[in-house]
Amino acid sequence: MIDYIYDGTFDGLLTCVYNHYYIDRAGGIYTGDSYQPNMLWGSMTVETDEAKAAKVYDAIEEKISAYDLRGVYKAYLSSVPGKEMIILRYLVMGFRKGPAISSLHGDPVVKDFQAILKKISVEAERMLQFVRFSVMDGNILYADIEPDHDVLELLHTHFCDRFRNDPFIIHDVGRGKAMIAYQKHWYITDFDEDSVPRLSQEELSYRDLWKTFFDNIAIKERANYRCQRNFMPERYRRHLTEITHPAQDRVL
Amino acid sequence: MEELLMKKLKILADGAKYDVSCSSSGASRYNNGRLGNAHAAGICHSWAADGRCVSLLKVLFTNKCEYDCEYCINRRSNDFPRATFEPDELARLTMEFYRRNYIEGLFLSSAVEKSPDYTAERILECLELLRFRYGFAGYIHAKIIPGVSPAILHRIGLVADRLSVNIEMPSSKSLAQLAPQKRPKQIFAPMRQITNTLIEHNSLVGPGTMFKGQKLNTADHYLEDSPDGFSNTGPSLPEFWDQASQILPAPKKGSFAAAGQTTQMIIGAGGESDKSILTTSENLYHAFKMKRVYYSAYIPLVESPKLPDIHTPAPLKREHRIYQADWLLRFYGFTVGELFQDGSSDLDPDLDPKVTWAIRNLDYFPLEVNKASYDQLMRVPGIGHLSAKRIIRQRRYSAVRFDDLKKIGVVMKRAKYFILCCGRYYGDRKFEPEVIRGSILQMENGLQMSMFDQMGDRHLTAGTGTGKALQEGKA
Repeated sequence: MIDYIYDGTFDGLLTCVYNHYYIDRAGGIYTGDSYQPNMLWGSMTVETDEAKAAKVYDAIEEKISAYDLRGVYKAYLSSVPGKEMIILRYLVMGFRKGPAISSLHGDPVVKDFQAILKKISVEAERMLQFVRFSVMDGNILYADIEPDHDVLELLHTHFCDRFRNDPFIIHDVGRGKAMIAYQKHWYITDFDEDSVPRLSQEELSYRDLWKTFFDNIAIKERANYRCQRNFMPERYRRHLTEITHPAQDRVL
Repeated sequence: MEELLMKKLKILADGAKYDVSCSSSGASRYNNGRLGNAHAAGICHSWAADGRCVSLLKVLFTNKCEYDCEYCINRRSNDFPRATFEPDELARLTMEFYRRNYIEGLFLSSAVEKSPDYTAERILECLELLRFRYGFAGYIHAKIIPGVSPAILHRIGLVADRLSVNIEMPSSKSLAQLAPQKRPKQIFAPMRQITNTLIEHNSLVGPGTMFKGQKLNTADHYLEDSPDGFSNTGPSLPEFWDQASQILPAPKKGSFAAAGQTTQMIIGAGGESDKSILTTSENLYHAFKMKRVYYSAYIPLVESPKLPDIHTPAPLKREHRIYQADWLLRFYGFTVGELFQDGSSDLDPDLDPKVTWAIRNLDYFPLEVNKASYDQLMRVPGIGHLSAKRIIRQRRYSAVRFDDLKKIGVVMKRAKYFILCCGRYYGDRKFEPEVIRGSILQMENGLQMSMFDQMGDRHLTAGTGTGKALQEGKA
């Protein structure tokens, strides 16, 4: 039994899975900063090895399924503590059960893994709802988000198609990176507040209009703030124009 | 300019908010224009203070109305600020909101200014500008005004994803009483035309899973008394087509209201029972194969001797139960007859209709989850389509044990009274209607106490604006 410490990359994680089979069983898998030494067994810092990672990658696709390979990558993107061991346990079981594993919803190993998948899919979907672009100088669309999980790269299919003809930036403020895209090409890069372009002239008036619409579409007689809160959790609200923008009382 | 636009938006959003539907689902499309696409499941972008989702820019084109419907805030005799959009102004506003990811598209309804055709032409102009001049490929839901000519309706259908004609009242009697200028014939003619055109385009789908496995796009489902062949006119190009500097590809042939048609009726303004409301819906589903019927609890806004008193609270709980029953019709294989088989004419306000049905039909239960078919599982309270599918999938590899059911997503507090798991019953000792009803009520009441501590009955209507929310709430 041994604790593996890896560099936080997907290939690093897959190398740990490789080592679990070929060096020693994993007691835990950690990134360097989260590791607390353990009295019972030792630890090993894993050098990410692309060849070993590729072997595991291909094995998942062949012996389990392409669906689960995508699932493993999505689970890796989550910020759930202990995700590495949940993924490892799922893979160990998956190599034994084959593609049937994703149907064994009652098994605790599968359930833990699918719970992570659900969290990250829910948040990726929320980002499709809650990303709010501002039109900046030069007609660039800019949005800031602060998701719990690293969902940025799960957003490209949707937004790259939808905003095919507009250059756009989705900035993950917490992780200091951004997706930059134009005409279906996209990449993810480090990004900080200084790089944010300036607001275009008419941006504020469209925010006013949106706020006006938002405030007037609710039926007062049916006020239901709890329901609103369930669908729009507080942690997303600081980036929502309709919540942060001041109310427009000056008309009527 | 901004001040004026803001004023219009305020008035016309205010007038549109009583339209329930805001879903952007049912159409799936990649970006085939300049901006936008359609996501099959729909996307809600925000939730207003009433807990209803904001998916589309929901506005009236105008609130200047010739009609004088008793229940309506825009009725002619109401002294109220009036406004009208310019087609281009609204098209640009939609584009700007859409770019900012505020909305999935446009929901355009209208009061009847001058005549149905006059208003519909203006709506059409706006939608064609949006599609052809601005290259908008997002979602459009257009409301069809009763009495509109078939040719205009057809052209609106070619640019819209979803069409709806409001039936307004569950019976022709209350329609005659409360909306005397709207005739049932005028309402059904466009509905029929839409269904027939969908059949011609081979794209009629029907509500939920009601017609699963059946071929709907055949002559058998074609509705008679069709308005003289107008639905065959085919796509025609808008007038400015040649002048537009950036010519965009015409919409794919065959895309007429890809997301089908819906309608809406008001609950609690006339004297109808739940049974007659749901019977009307069932008929609409069977005849017109509508995707959905929406219900809207009547909120007294105008005083009228023909209407409930202005202080009557909106029947939100009733609306909720009717939505639950509606879901049973579309997705769970129930019929209205089954839901009211004991001769009652209203739904049980205390329990959801699936539980009520199950308690009345205990000879159908308990069902062994390891043997029951999908359709049988769907009839168990606490089991929805997701958990039924999961049970079936897992059964192929290993027996489903009692502990698995909760992990699969079954709502055990309701389901346990109606199932056997590996031959064992996990409910209370007595398998009798009164005992089960008592236990479920006790548990639901406990829950409701804590749900209602702040706001009274209102929570029960959570998310009626979104299909998805209801589907989740159903199970």
